[in-house]
Amino acid sequence: MARVEFRNIRKEFVDDNKGTFTAVAGSNFVIEDKEFVVFVGPSGCGKTTSLRMIAGLERQTSGDIIIGDRVVNNLHPKDRDIAMVFQDYALYPHMTIRENLSFGLRNLKKPKAYIEQKVAQAASILGLESMIDRKPRELSGGQRQRVAVGRAIVRDPQVFLFDEPLSNLDAKLRVQMRVELSELHKRLEATIVYVTHDQVEAMTLGERIVVMNNGIIQQIASPTELYANPQNMFVAGFIGSPPMNFIDVTKEGNVLRMEGGSFTIPDAMARGLSKYENKPLILGVRPEHISGEDLPGTPNHEYTYAGKIQVVEHLGSENLVYFRIGNRTVTAKVHPETTGYPGMDKTFIFNFDKVHFFDPETEQRIDW
Amino acid sequence: MQTAPAQSRPPRTPMKGYMREYGWAYLFILAPVLLFLIFTLYPVASAFLMSFQQYSVMGSEWIGTDNYTRMVKDEVFWKSMWNTVLFTVGTVPVNIIITYALSFFIFQMKDKWQTFFKATMYLPAVASGVTISVVWLAIFDPTHAGLLNRFIGLFGFDPVIWLGKSDTALFSLILMNWLGSHGAGIILYLAAMGGIPKSLYEAADIDHASGWSKFWRITWPLMKPTTLYLLVTGVITSFQVFISVYLMTQGGPNFATTTIAYLIYNTAFNFYEFGLASAQSFVLAALIIVISVIQFKYFSSDVEY
Repeated sequence: MARVEFRNIRKEFVDDNKGTFTAVAGSNFVIEDKEFVVFVGPSGCGKTTSLRMIAGLERQTSGDIIIGDRVVNNLHPKDRDIAMVFQDYALYPHMTIRENLSFGLRNLKKPKAYIEQKVAQAASILGLESMIDRKPRELSGGQRQRVAVGRAIVRDPQVFLFDEPLSNLDAKLRVQMRVELSELHKRLEATIVYVTHDQVEAMTLGERIVVMNNGIIQQIASPTELYANPQNMFVAGFIGSPPMNFIDVTKEGNVLRMEGGSFTIPDAMARGLSKYENKPLILGVRPEHISGEDLPGTPNHEYTYAGKIQVVEHLGSENLVYFRIGNRTVTAKVHPETTGYPGMDKTFIFNFDKVHFFDPETEQRIDW
Repeated sequence: MQTAPAQSRPPRTPMKGYMREYGWAYLFILAPVLLFLIFTLYPVASAFLMSFQQYSVMGSEWIGTDNYTRMVKDEVFWKSMWNTVLFTVGTVPVNIIITYALSFFIFQMKDKWQTFFKATMYLPAVASGVTISVVWLAIFDPTHAGLLNRFIGLFGFDPVIWLGKSDTALFSLILMNWLGSHGAGIILYLAAMGGIPKSLYEAADIDHASGWSKFWRITWPLMKPTTLYLLVTGVITSFQVFISVYLMTQGGPNFATTTIAYLIYNTAFNFYEFGLASAQSFVLAALIIVISVIQFKYFSSDVEY
C-alpha cells in the first residue's frame, strides 16, 4: 500500500464555446498509507475529477501527483498500480464474473494457477463463489457492486479508488454495502480514496474527509472534527442532516439581537466577538442543539427564543420542528415527547455551549 | 329506506364492452392486415401454387413437381447458384470488415467530422442502383479510357476487359460491391460503438489492457449484435443481387455472372416460364431462410444484447 499526495494540483477544462472551467483549483493534501479518505461535496465540486487524476484517466493542468514515492504525472493508468471501482461498475457485460475478475491479471500475463487462486480468493472474500460463471446481467445491483470491488482487489494494487460506488443501490443495500466496505478496508489494510456526494456515507466510512466545493478544498478533517468544528459555513451546512441552522444576529455588547428576540451571551464570548461590535454576524447552531422548553434535562434556560411552529415532522425517534427567525427557517431536532403542532407558540432553548459564529462576508468560522 | 328503481337498460355484455373499448384498435389494425393479405400473402401463395403448374394466361395446367425436377436438372440453375454463393462469400465478410474498419476510424473523429463522413458514406445508399451501375460501367470501361484500366496502367498492366471475360466478370461485380455502399452499416456500427460506456475502456486501461486487447476483448464482442444483423441482412441482399447483373453484364459472359435472382427474372420475363421461375423463387427463399437460421444459431449463442 502507498500514500497519495497532491501538490498544487490544478485542473482546467477548456471548451471552445463555454471557455475555461476550473474543476480543481490548487489542491494540496496527503493521504497516508492505509488510510480511508473520503472526498465529499456537491455535484461539480471537483471530487470525481480529483479521483480521476489520481487514476490517470484525467491529466492535471499543473501540479504533481505522487503515489508511494513516485511522481506519476506522466504515467498511464495501468502503470500507476491503482484499481478503481466505477459508479456504473463498468463490468464487461459479455464476460462471466470469473472473466471479469481475471481480466486484469490475464492482461498482466500472470500464470493461470495464480489467476485462479486470486479469483477464488476474491470471490470467497466477497461471497461471489456461487455466481462465478454467471454474466453481470444475471446479478443484482449489490452483487455487481461486489464484482466491481472484486475486480479491484484481485490485483493487490497500492491504492483503491472508489467513484460513488453505492449511488446506484437502494437505501437498504447502501447501508449494508457501507458496512461491508468498512470491513473490507480493515481486512485489506488498503489505502482507499472514496468519492461520494452523500455526507452520511462520508461520515460513516472515512477516517478523514476532504470537503470540496467549486474546485476548492474547504476542509480536511476527521468526521468528528468536521462536525464539531466546521471551518466555514459551507462545511457547516453540508455536513450534518438536517444541516446547521444559520441565524442573522447583531452583536451589541453582551447582547445578540435577532428578529423577534435576543440572547445575552457570556463576557468571554462577547470579548471574543469584540471585532464585530454593532456588526452583523451569523449564528450557527445544529438542530440537535435546539430543544423544546418542556424537555426534561435541558442544560439551561438562559438562551430561549419564542417562536411559532410552522411544521412538525415525526421521525419516530425524534421530531423535527420548523420555525422562523427573520427570513430564515430554523430546524430543531427535539425529543419525540415534546409537545408541538403547527401554529403553536413555543419557546425554544439554544445550547450555547455548541454554537458557532461565522463572518457574513467571508463565511469563515470566527474563533472567539 | 328507499329501494333503487329498476334498471330500464339491459346490462351490458362483456363482449359489447370490450368492443366499445377496443373496437377502434382493431379497425386501425385492419388496414395494414388487409394490405398484407392482398399484396403479400396472396401473391406468395399464388406463386407457390404456380410453381406446381405449367402457367399460361389462358389456363394453367397442374404438373406436380415437374418444375422442380426441371430446375435441378438444369446446369444453368446450378451455375447461377454457384455464382450467387461465390458472390455472397466474396462480398459479405469483406464488406463487414471494410464497414467495421471505416466505422472505427470515423468513431475516433470529432463530432462534426463524424457527421460529414456519415453523410458522405451514406450517399451511395441514397443514389439509385441504376446510377451506381452506370458510373461503374464507366469505371470498368475495357478500353484505355476506363478509369480502372488507367489506374492499373500506372503499374504497367495492360487493359482488362473487366465485364467481358468469364474469369473477371464476377470478380468485377464483387469489386464494385466492396467499394459500394457501406453507409447503413457504418451508421449502425457507429451507433453501437457510441453505446459502449466509456467507463469500460477506462476500466480496461486500469486493467492493463493494450489497444489490441481492448479491441478484441471489449469492442468486437460488444459489436456482435450489429455484426450479426449486418451478416444476415448482407447475405439476404447478396443472394438477391440483380440490378448490377441486369444492367452491367446481363448474366454473361457465358453465364459467368448469372445469379439466381437474375435467372428467375430471365426465366419469367424472357422465356415466360412463370411456373419454373416460381419454383426457382421458392428454392431461393428456402435457401435464404435456412442460411439465416444457421447464422442465428451459430453466431448468436454468445451475443450480448
